Amino acid sequence: MVSQKITVKNVSGLHLRPTGILCNEAIKYKSTIKFKFGSSLTNAKSVLSVLGACVKSGDEIEFECEGPDEDEALKAMIRLVESGLGE
Amino acid sequence: MYKGTSASSGIGIGSAVIVEEAELVIKREAVTDTAAEVERFKGALDQTMKDTEVLAADLATRVGEKEAEIMQGHMMLLMDPMLTGEIENSITGEAICSEYAVEQVCQNYAMVFASMDDELMQQRATDMLDIKTRMQKVLLGVASVDISALPAGSILVAKDLTPSMTAGINPANVAGIVTELGGKTSHSAILARALEISAVVAVSDFLTKVKNGDTVVLDGSEGVVYVNPEQSVKEEYESKREKFLKEKKELEQYIGKPTVTKDGVHIELVANIGKPEDVEKVLQYDGEGVGLFRTEFLFMDRTSMPTEEEQFEAYKKVAEVLAGKPVIIRTLDIGGDKEIPYMGLQKDENPFLGYRAIRFCLDRKDDVYKPQLRALLRASAFGNIKIMIPLVTCIDEYREAKALIEELKAELDQAGIAYNKEIQVGVMVETAAASLIADIFAKEVDFFSIGTNDLTQYTMSVDRGNDKVSYLYSTFNPAVLRSIKRIITCAREAGIMVGMCGEAASDPMMIPLLLAFGLNEFSMSASAILRARKLITGYSTEELQAVADKAMSFATTKEVEDYMKTFAG
Repeated sequence: MVSQKITVKNVSGLHLRPTGILCNEAIKYKSTIKFKFGSSLTNAKSVLSVLGACVKSGDEIEFECEGPDEDEALKAMIRLVESGLGE
Repeated sequence: MYKGTSASSGIGIGSAVIVEEAELVIKREAVTDTAAEVERFKGALDQTMKDTEVLAADLATRVGEKEAEIMQGHMMLLMDPMLTGEIENSITGEAICSEYAVEQVCQNYAMVFASMDDELMQQRATDMLDIKTRMQKVLLGVASVDISALPAGSILVAKDLTPSMTAGINPANVAGIVTELGGKTSHSAILARALEISAVVAVSDFLTKVKNGDTVVLDGSEGVVYVNPEQSVKEEYESKREKFLKEKKELEQYIGKPTVTKDGVHIELVANIGKPEDVEKVLQYDGEGVGLFRTEFLFMDRTSMPTEEEQFEAYKKVAEVLAGKPVIIRTLDIGGDKEIPYMGLQKDENPFLGYRAIRFCLDRKDDVYKPQLRALLRASAFGNIKIMIPLVTCIDEYREAKALIEELKAELDQAGIAYNKEIQVGVMVETAAASLIADIFAKEVDFFSIGTNDLTQYTMSVDRGNDKVSYLYSTFNPAVLRSIKRIITCAREAGIMVGMCGEAASDPMMIPLLLAFGLNEFSMSASAILRARKLITGYSTEELQAVADKAMSFATTKEVEDYMKTFAG
């Protein structure tokens, strides 16, 4: 398993649109992709799960990827969040 | 021939299309073969996805990318592994039918969203319920009614049309609307007028008298409907329709002309609107501004309040499009017959005498009124916005609202946010109390707008929706006329602007009286503006004084109506 912390920078946090972009990317990978936020562990492939986490701009989350393509998956997630998720 | 209430003028001839939104009955049914049930659910999910995809593509081309985005969001939810996983688990674990599993799981998520303290998240509850209904319809084999894709020449027949259903209507295909319920001022009627589709509402038991494909002829001006009429009747209405269209064409020559009476009195001829998009119609019919922007529409058909930001965008858009022309925006008028579920209003014993409009807003300053007033103030930097307070009955209400506005102005000053420091604040005069103390109001407020629908209802103590007593509901009643005249006189004496934004402002029989009383501003459906301009420019207010005096001398509604009918032709 690989993991990395990152701060969500886009203005609206993980709202429906940014979440959609995140999840659409996540489902391309075979590995499980989750992120830790506070005490909860969220499935990054589920829009509902991500929305339910209520991540706001400025919050720090930690991605955890596990599976055959875990390195690529983690890199892609970090790159996407850094790019501001389309905002 | 069937009688109803005329709701939107014009002649409609076409084939009946009965629109019934089937009520879904979802029961908890046990299943034995849960694996097969999961497959059934998956099939329905697939179909719903495909349907949604088509809908999204159609919306993108027909309406716009923004509307399509909502559907794309729905597709994401439908694809969600957490949602579908939970539904499948529920089917397998509880051995229940798909319909019920969908109901449970989606309702649950909708509740979670609705309870979040983030407004944007709360709105996702609507999306959740929407996809729930669509999946269930597929499961139950219930076809969705798609009003936007009817064949040309359709006459829409329904028990009642919700505002959101009416919004899907394409005027190119719908030749007329007939409903069993509703009234002249119900939302479907108002929207039919906005779309310029002839409509007759409140036709009792009409659904039992018509079937799909029947030829229907309706006269929206007279409020009559025929089903499979004789050839002679059909021909008569075909020629009527031609005449109506010709007259409409004639009115177009009044576009761009000033609204001035023969004796040189300038009149402001403005429009009533409900949504920001309606300003297109205002421009099309050469409205000189907006006399009433009903903000409730921004709050309806959703599961949480629009944010200050959303409201700001809506008000700003109207102000910008009208580029300096006056835009009177009425603050939230809910309660009475206009309910908004998420506002947490209790059922009032007497809704029209209860907790509504300004009474409600002043009680809910922090979560409802302040965000709206702040949005209005911020938008005032982009055009000529005026704030109108509805349903005032005493000066204290105006003073309290005004103080709140001043408080918000100070806040904006401090934050360095621009707004119009001279913004006008007026009141809607629509209660008997406000009319009686119009002289007191006129000293403090910036303008009046007379709301004749409520004023008539409150003055006559009559529920305009009640068939048994609606005969008493007439703006030509001597009591109502005296009230209107008094309000106008008080405003003129105090030197403030006085307008009218009720149905009466566009009534050809009422316009001469209002001109004689000295009304400055007439606000009506955009489509009525050119006819009103034609009428107003043909009168001289001086010559009308004698007509008004005569009309005011009668003792009964009937005498006034007969006299004005003869006068106005």
